[in-house]
Amino acid sequence: MWFSIDFNSHVPVYKQIKEKIKSMIVTGKLKKGAFVPSIRSLAKDLGVNLNTVSRAYRELVLEGILKVVRGEGYVVEGLDAERFLGKKLEEFRKMVLTLKGDGIEYEKLEGILREVYGGEENAES
Amino acid sequence: MLKVKGLKKSYGNKVAVNDISFEVDRGEIFALLGPNGAGKTTTLKCIVGLRKKDSGKVEIDGKYAYLPEKKELYRYFTVKKMVEITDYYTEEFNKDKAYKLLSDFQIDLKEKIANLSHGMVTQVYLALLLSQNADIYILDEPTWGLDPVMRNRIIEKIRGLSYEGKAVLYTSHILAEVEKVADRVAIMSEGHILEMDYLDVIKEKYVAVTVRKGEKVNGYKWKETENEEVYIVKREDAGSEYEHVGFDVIFEAIVRRDRK
Repeated sequence: MWFSIDFNSHVPVYKQIKEKIKSMIVTGKLKKGAFVPSIRSLAKDLGVNLNTVSRAYRELVLEGILKVVRGEGYVVEGLDAERFLGKKLEEFRKMVLTLKGDGIEYEKLEGILREVYGGEENAES
Repeated sequence: MLKVKGLKKSYGNKVAVNDISFEVDRGEIFALLGPNGAGKTTTLKCIVGLRKKDSGKVEIDGKYAYLPEKKELYRYFTVKKMVEITDYYTEEFNKDKAYKLLSDFQIDLKEKIANLSHGMVTQVYLALLLSQNADIYILDEPTWGLDPVMRNRIIEKIRGLSYEGKAVLYTSHILAEVEKVADRVAIMSEGHILEMDYLDVIKEKYVAVTVRKGEKVNGYKWKETENEEVYIVKREDAGSEYEHVGFDVIFEAIVRRDRK
């Protein structure tokens, strides 16, 4: 498993790892019951410290997203998609508030939404 | 693995290290950061006994290997001779590993040390040091003078030590490098440790707030604009309007405080 880590970001590395794994679960790239890489192997693949991956996994276990299988590793337990997406929507909302503060009109945003979602509908039909 | 408690060291009237304490655990990479003259090198020298500490306690649980700030080797020896002599004088030295590392680093064994560039001497020194089996590796500026690609390879080697459960205590001037490899950091200035924690925790702990000039704020002043001042403060002291900042800004603000 590999994804890019931004070491100079203000977002802590362990958090970047957590978020990435969560979004892999939501998008179905990681399925329920599947093993995630061992701490050592993910640390090696990403080029980060063992302690960093270990903290990310530990917190994912506390959040009920991963489960420890003794002697075997960590499996995907599942993810409250609603909660995860709820957080994303909250971020979106904040962004909208900023844009509103910058004086962007409602119609402009609606236009963007229509463009993005409309494009998807067209592709499906 | 390593415990330092209340370490003090003065050179004449000048206090170089002023009552610092920290611990480094197994499998942990601990970075001492700070501007020149902060006391990092003196701290390491006191730990390995090259300088006599004035007071305080240093406990090392196991064997250590030490890379000094000045990477000097016998100028008239060849690289090969340097390996052989190190093998002769060093306990638990793995000669094969040293040759393998030197070949990885593409260093010519027949070359005299005197003919190597500064960066290459550092690489030879590192190859010798990393081939020495120890419980804690104490490295003073291990990537000094190396190009970015070689620096990354050394970083990987240092990380590899922690994978084997070794402890690493090291100093560096390059924050971007520290962000890649350190678990915990201590920020030193003028002999004191001003902040010490997991790097990830420090990143989450501090944010930037902008206030009117002269307004009192509980934090570290980072910079001034025409009418305002920017402070780095703990998030809980920040109120609702703040900006996230990178570790380099946090570091700069903390170190600056002492310089006022």
